[in-house]
Amino acid sequence: MKIVESLKIKEKVYIEKLKNGLTIMIIPKKTTNKKFVIWGTHFGSINNHFIVPNTNEEITLPDGVAHFLEHKMFEQENGINSLDKLMALGVDPNAYTTNNHTAYYFECTTNFEQALDELMDYVQHPYFTDENVEKEKGIIGQEIKMYEDDPGWQLYIHALECMYQKNPIKIDIAGTVESISKIDKDILYKSYETFYHPSNMAMVICGNFVPEEILEEVKKRLIKREEQGEIRRIYEEEDSAIQQKYKETFMEVSTPLFAIGFKDKIEQKDIIKRHIAIEILLNMLIGKSASLYQELYSEGLLMAEPDISYDFSEQYAYVLITGQSKNPKKIEERLKEEIKRQIENFDVEQFERLKRKVYGDFVVEYNNISDISRMFLSDFFKGINSLEYIEQYGSVSTEYTKQILTEVFDEKNEIMSIVQPKG
Amino acid sequence: MSYQRMTVKEGIYFHKIQTNKFKTNLFAIFLTTPLTRENVTKNALITAVLRRGTNKLQTQEEISKKLEEMYGAAFDCGVEKIGDNHSLKFYLEVVNNQFLPEKEDLVRDSIDLLMDIVFHPKVEEEQFKEEYVQGEKENLKQMIEAKVDNKAAYALESCIENMYQGKPYGLYKYGYVEDLKDITAQKLYEYYKQLIGNCQIDIFASGDFQEKSLEKIIQKNLEGYAERKPQLALKEEEKEEIKEPKRKIENKQISQGKLVIGLDVKTGNGEENYKTVVYNTILGGGSNSKLFQNVREKASLAYTASSSYARRKQNIFIRAGIEIENYDKAVEIIKQQLQDMKEGNFSEEDLNNAKNLLLSTIENIPEEQDTEITYYFGQELAGTQDTIEMYQENIKKVTKEDVIEIANKIQINTIYFLTNQGG
Repeated sequence: MKIVESLKIKEKVYIEKLKNGLTIMIIPKKTTNKKFVIWGTHFGSINNHFIVPNTNEEITLPDGVAHFLEHKMFEQENGINSLDKLMALGVDPNAYTTNNHTAYYFECTTNFEQALDELMDYVQHPYFTDENVEKEKGIIGQEIKMYEDDPGWQLYIHALECMYQKNPIKIDIAGTVESISKIDKDILYKSYETFYHPSNMAMVICGNFVPEEILEEVKKRLIKREEQGEIRRIYEEEDSAIQQKYKETFMEVSTPLFAIGFKDKIEQKDIIKRHIAIEILLNMLIGKSASLYQELYSEGLLMAEPDISYDFSEQYAYVLITGQSKNPKKIEERLKEEIKRQIENFDVEQFERLKRKVYGDFVVEYNNISDISRMFLSDFFKGINSLEYIEQYGSVSTEYTKQILTEVFDEKNEIMSIVQPKG
Repeated sequence: MSYQRMTVKEGIYFHKIQTNKFKTNLFAIFLTTPLTRENVTKNALITAVLRRGTNKLQTQEEISKKLEEMYGAAFDCGVEKIGDNHSLKFYLEVVNNQFLPEKEDLVRDSIDLLMDIVFHPKVEEEQFKEEYVQGEKENLKQMIEAKVDNKAAYALESCIENMYQGKPYGLYKYGYVEDLKDITAQKLYEYYKQLIGNCQIDIFASGDFQEKSLEKIIQKNLEGYAERKPQLALKEEEKEEIKEPKRKIENKQISQGKLVIGLDVKTGNGEENYKTVVYNTILGGGSNSKLFQNVREKASLAYTASSSYARRKQNIFIRAGIEIENYDKAVEIIKQQLQDMKEGNFSEEDLNNAKNLLLSTIENIPEEQDTEITYYFGQELAGTQDTIEMYQENIKKVTKEDVIEIANKIQINTIYFLTNQGG
């Protein structure tokens, strides 16, 4: 096994790529009684157009298949629902679907071996029937409606629609009531066979484990699968420019919600450094101690510091600033002024201070085995080892950060989405 | 892990949780006082004003800069209803010295800063700074009005309001817009002095502490504060017999209806608590529960269907997000579940599943710093000192007969539905 270690935060990850292509990452944690296992596939809502490796068949999926598949994986041929079985063991199981991956996990303190049996059993044994697929449409339909009522989610989807024209990231992960009506068991089986192959999957294990022992436990539960070539994922060529500057919608909210986004180019090289620099910059521009935030706060234009994030994969990259304000246009205007001011006169003292803050933010991620495991899995599908953030932190210089500021926070990449109060 | 409780003075307690499970130390101060209409808005406002400045760090900007220099220490505050009491909560989370890139000591600074925020606010001429009070009044107003933004939370809050009209527990924890106008900087400071002189004060420190001086630092900071007898509301009044449940229908623009059913549990507050905890878990605690299985999985009516137990008020709240036209059907299925529980129509397996789920939830308490603090604070207010092991033992003892006994002491108090029909 390959070992990657961080001496600063005293954590180690053991990495093994098995012959069948499955990558396993083990992060031993001696001081916790909890154990966490997460098993993911590099298949999310944006992977809706691809070529099946062994047959060369080209497939376009209706929206929402990855998420639908996640819902249906728990049902077993013998009538047992694995989620219920795991819960009955006193284990906390769940699953989620993102833009680029789907993951199944459990957290437990006791009954670990039985829980691992169950997880590895159900993920390797799909069971779809016409009847159980139909039934799920009612449940997912309600889940979609729950999101329709969620102003924060609508804000986010509209921001993505401003940035992207063709990229399926702008599609709701769950799809629509209309799109899921087209899903049947054949579509699910075909997607499963293609994407739930070990070579397209990774597992992260965190807890008080001896790496060699737990690795053997996983190996003996794996079912043999035929080799599979690489899955060709087809994405339409996306223009690097934004689609539209502005989008607004009306919902029953008390104060307008706003999202300001910057569409970034897709940059694989130095992505970690870029990410760290952007985190520091977002804090400098509109974080809690930023003079802009303090002004907006005392003018009553912001009630709390906006949420700031940078999200990226091989297919998309964007900065998002979201919050609530009586006057979102004003926020946008002032942010632009602040960006301009920082480009002209970069505040080095502020940079150094926020660099320390960002270090602390990374360390806090290592408090909880569930956060650790999810982070390693999600970063893995982006081609990153999470510990790199701690290691590369020191290399982010003022010069580099200034350059990123000019490049990323460019007005021509900027969009805004607003949810306005109705009536 | 070890937990120690020390009486600094009567009504002022220091709780130390020594644990090596985390990368961070977490400090917390809770001020607790009886919940009244007169004071609820002031309490919420004080919490917000205190974070604006201390005698040493006079602005929020200075506080934020200090926190960022401390490797992004995170300060947070809020208010919470705990039964008929109101707690003002202040937290500071900071990276443990062992995991910093350079040798530094952040423990003393953290305690001093947190205590300064709560006990030594920025005061001008015997009152809070006018600008801070005015700004926070405006913020609080927006926050109270934002209650309607999250429809599921709004529905629960409205159901509680209907059940406890004119009583402390029916109050909204952030208070009332109409009460804000009479609060001046001077009146608020007078009230603050009265509060800080009479409320119960609980100080928590959780982390891996090498230093023995922790208690001394705390004591020194509290020298100026006298012992006190906080008159907290700890006893619950008996539930009245209800012949016909109240029904309340409210209209908002939503696409999914939110159903909340408030139940009374007519029991005392002692041993029966554990039985009710188990009852609630069988009814709506997870994916094995009767609500999840029957409302979601069998009838396909909802994505969310669960129940939660408000121990201090002896209430259970059932919640489901449903298609509007399915209201009658959902209520009927839920009533059937309550009836089944009364008649003992659940298996030993259901009982064991629920107990396993609870046992592992309890075992996880020490795995999260804020959860562990909340647990010991709950013990403090209940006047008990149950260890986590004792809590588990009490759950293990619950029998099927115990659960049926509780089921027969349960009545529906209110059926609340947030819908889109009828206008």
